[in-house]
Amino acid sequence: MSETPEPVENVTPEPGQRSKLASVSEVLTLYAICLFVALALAALLVEFASDKGSWSSVYTVILDGAVRKPGRWGLTLGIAAPILLVGLGTIVSGRAGLVNIGQEGQLVIGAGCATYVGVRIGGPGPLALALTLLCAVIGGALWAGIAGALRFWRNVPEVLTTLLMGTVAANLVGWGLRNRFLLLAPPEGRANRNQVSLPLRTDRRIPRVELFGNEFPLSIVLALVLAFVVWLVLGRTVVGFRLRMLGRNARTAQRSGVDQKRYGIGAMLVSGGFAGLAGGVMLAGGDFGDYQLVANFGAGIGFAGLLAALVARQRALLLIFIAFLFAGLRTGSGFLRATGVSARIADVVQGTLVLAMLLPPAILYLRARRRAIAATSSRT
Amino acid sequence: MTSTSDASFQNDMVGGEHSSPPTVELIDITKRFGQIVACDRVSLTLRSGKIHGILGENGAGKSTLMKVLIGLVLPDAGQIRLHGKPVQITDPIDAATHGIAMVHQHFSLVEALTVWENVALGDVGRLDHRHVRERVAQISEHYGLHINPDDRISDLSAGMRQRVEIIKCLRRDPQVLVFDEPTSVLSPSESEFLFAALRRVVQEEGKAVALVSHKLPEILSVTDEVTIMRDGKVVRAGETAGTAASELARAMVGRDVVLRREHAAFGVMDINDKPTPSPVATTAAAPSPSPALRLVDLHITGRDGRALLSGLTLDVYPGEIVGVAGVEDNGQRTLGDVLSSLVALDSGKVEVAGIGVATGRAGAMAKAGIGVIPEDRHDSGCVLDFTVAENLFIADPDRVSRRGFMNVATMRQRAEVLIRQFSINCTGPNAPMWSLSGGNQQRVVMARELAHDPKVLVAAQPTHGLDVGAIEYMSEQLRNAAATGVGVLLISTELEEVLDLSDRIVVIYNGRIVGEMSKGHVDVERLGMLMTGAGESHE
Ligand SMILES: Nc1ncnc2c1ncn2[C@@H]1O[C@H](COP(=O)(O)OP(=O)(O)OP(=O)(O)O)[C@@H](O)[C@H]1O
Ligand SMILES: [Mg+2]
Repeated sequence: MSETPEPVENVTPEPGQRSKLASVSEVLTLYAICLFVALALAALLVEFASDKGSWSSVYTVILDGAVRKPGRWGLTLGIAAPILLVGLGTIVSGRAGLVNIGQEGQLVIGAGCATYVGVRIGGPGPLALALTLLCAVIGGALWAGIAGALRFWRNVPEVLTTLLMGTVAANLVGWGLRNRFLLLAPPEGRANRNQVSLPLRTDRRIPRVELFGNEFPLSIVLALVLAFVVWLVLGRTVVGFRLRMLGRNARTAQRSGVDQKRYGIGAMLVSGGFAGLAGGVMLAGGDFGDYQLVANFGAGIGFAGLLAALVARQRALLLIFIAFLFAGLRTGSGFLRATGVSARIADVVQGTLVLAMLLPPAILYLRARRRAIAATSSRT
Repeated sequence: MTSTSDASFQNDMVGGEHSSPPTVELIDITKRFGQIVACDRVSLTLRSGKIHGILGENGAGKSTLMKVLIGLVLPDAGQIRLHGKPVQITDPIDAATHGIAMVHQHFSLVEALTVWENVALGDVGRLDHRHVRERVAQISEHYGLHINPDDRISDLSAGMRQRVEIIKCLRRDPQVLVFDEPTSVLSPSESEFLFAALRRVVQEEGKAVALVSHKLPEILSVTDEVTIMRDGKVVRAGETAGTAASELARAMVGRDVVLRREHAAFGVMDINDKPTPSPVATTAAAPSPSPALRLVDLHITGRDGRALLSGLTLDVYPGEIVGVAGVEDNGQRTLGDVLSSLVALDSGKVEVAGIGVATGRAGAMAKAGIGVIPEDRHDSGCVLDFTVAENLFIADPDRVSRRGFMNVATMRQRAEVLIRQFSINCTGPNAPMWSLSGGNQQRVVMARELAHDPKVLVAAQPTHGLDVGAIEYMSEQLRNAAATGVGVLLISTELEEVLDLSDRIVVIYNGRIVGEMSKGHVDVERLGMLMTGAGESHE
């Protein structure tokens, strides 16, 4: 065979001259169908694999849980914030050509640092909160920075180091949670043997706003602003231009004055910083635990953010939408649990729905290709 | 309607051989990319035992047509027949099962792997490395390619990489061979050897070959039939025998071409009768106080302990074109890399206009005023996923930015000017670089490097992939650059090119300069000896 084909783009079949409107509606239909099938599968699962819950209610329950029931969309926003933040970081490193997959670990480290500082530091509330979040950023950044440094000084693949350091992070913070001098709360006031930290004092929590009976932390606003900033920096500034250049062709970048070490490690630091910040806002936002660090604090948000960035194909503004979608799936399927469906089944339902979001692009590609082939064969 | 056109098509050239249909027929192939019609009802017939040349300007649609045959591009309309039977080729694997293989215009090699690993890439099932190695060695010997299966790709020069691509293509003994500019980085003698071997095999084993090339002498001497494309259409097809080069060139461009470099381009070399007295000669002769580029005793040792540069010393004065002649792989690539800030020196120093420049530091050379047209444009010359406009400003985005923000409108405008000035054939400044034809990508690189007002211009194989007209334009640009005081360092394995353009010729051998001749005193025989290391002297 002709071993390695030229860049994939060359193969991409042209959509032809069909009108743009038609193709947009086609894409939407496809997403709708995929979602419908996933929901049907979810319904089957709930009906047969779980003793509680019924197939007919799956769709309404998920929608209820995500947005409809009182207070639910506020919760969805609160969960979307850290997913969005993690995703933004992933985009920054991804555009620089680096594969950071250790966001979950960087997030936990960020949350750990935030807790350590947040419960100790004095001073006026807003300042203390800012410092707490800053420490989360620094913690996450340094954690990812180690992988970055190893990559650029020792040529160790960052895919491996970030992933492995994720495990290390989980254990490190877990260990911290077992030790009084680090994160563990004093025995009085906590249920015995429960490994939790002290909660943040009320004046150093992220303010929550109430809107139409829904309550959510202001961190979502921060995340949205940062999404805009990332979009602007990557797409419109010289620094973003150079970063993308590094990701696309490192040798051309080197020749053109992009210092691989500086930009590469910088991108890793920013990426980890975003994940750390996500951990910080999870702690100080209130939707994850009661403003205190608990065991398994990450709750898969790091991985959700990574996935969201992949689905958004590394585009910051599209990521906003995807992050909301992922958060909605999470709160929606979480709500299934409340109706008595077992946690495991609820997780599978969530996974199925995420998969439904991933399928359409692949299907579209294959179909465009088939069309092109058909076009040639019809002409005999 | 189609059946009649098919019949007339077959009658075209074959005469009596109706009994066995041609190996490959591409019939009325049409392929559009947006508004661009890359191929417009193009037909092409490849016959067993024959080599078919395909000629055309940059962007004429040659590569697209070849990609249709190999299944990388799916045509909008048209038919492919193999041995008279209609087939559909939907991807390269499909093509391989039909016995079709291709050498692409651009490399698709994994730098970190060795030659045999690259050749085996994409194999399924158990990997028999001994077998693959043997096969590589065998092909290498058969076609005179001198490739060691255990070399690492990243250590190989462009010419060597090209040969690896050729081996990849030949390894499965395909019946149909498609070569898209396989010799653009090979020296004439190397391609001659390759084609001599190819010819033999083609005739003995009845293979059918399609050969895309911009080198007219090659087309004339090697091919049996030739098809000329212009703007996506076939403008001429027929036997090669009895055709003159100028005739082909005229058909290609659609007008009479007056080629100052006709000698060189057509492979006829006569240095006593230079057609172009260089306008620069006078400027160059005037003694300039300080060299634009000064290379002093450069040493670099490769990863395998081999000396890549061993004491290279060279001065390039403003306003002169210094041609570096030499057999491939004698340090040219490393020299280019040093001047592109891609590698650091072990010892020695580089000075631009009297000021020392740190080697290996990102962008230092570019900043000091060294423009580089690299020998492999995809390697360090452009970013394929960027737009044309972005590619025109990668070396110096500050020109189109304010306070750190890119000024998209300005970038667009300036890009449009350059696109017009260098006649880059693309849909506009926002066309992605990968969508451009090879020759047009080269023009983008050239446009960028010249537009940045360099003090020194390093041009390594600058005509790589350019059509005959564009080669002339490139030469003119290099001369103009020199005339305005730029020191031009021309690195080329093509002796004609060096002889034609240079005011001064130096010979590189084993990582250092072993001889020098001024324009008026070229002794081709001695040059050849120096290039093969037979004699060392200074003039
Ligand atoms: N994938 C693509 N998307 C959009 N346009 C394309 C694509 N591939 C080729 N083109 C356009 O089609 C035209 C023909 O390109 P092609 O690569 O076939 O030229 P070529 O004859 O091989 O030229 P060269 O001698 O420079 O290699 C060009 O204008 C090119 O910009
Ligand atoms: Mg081409």
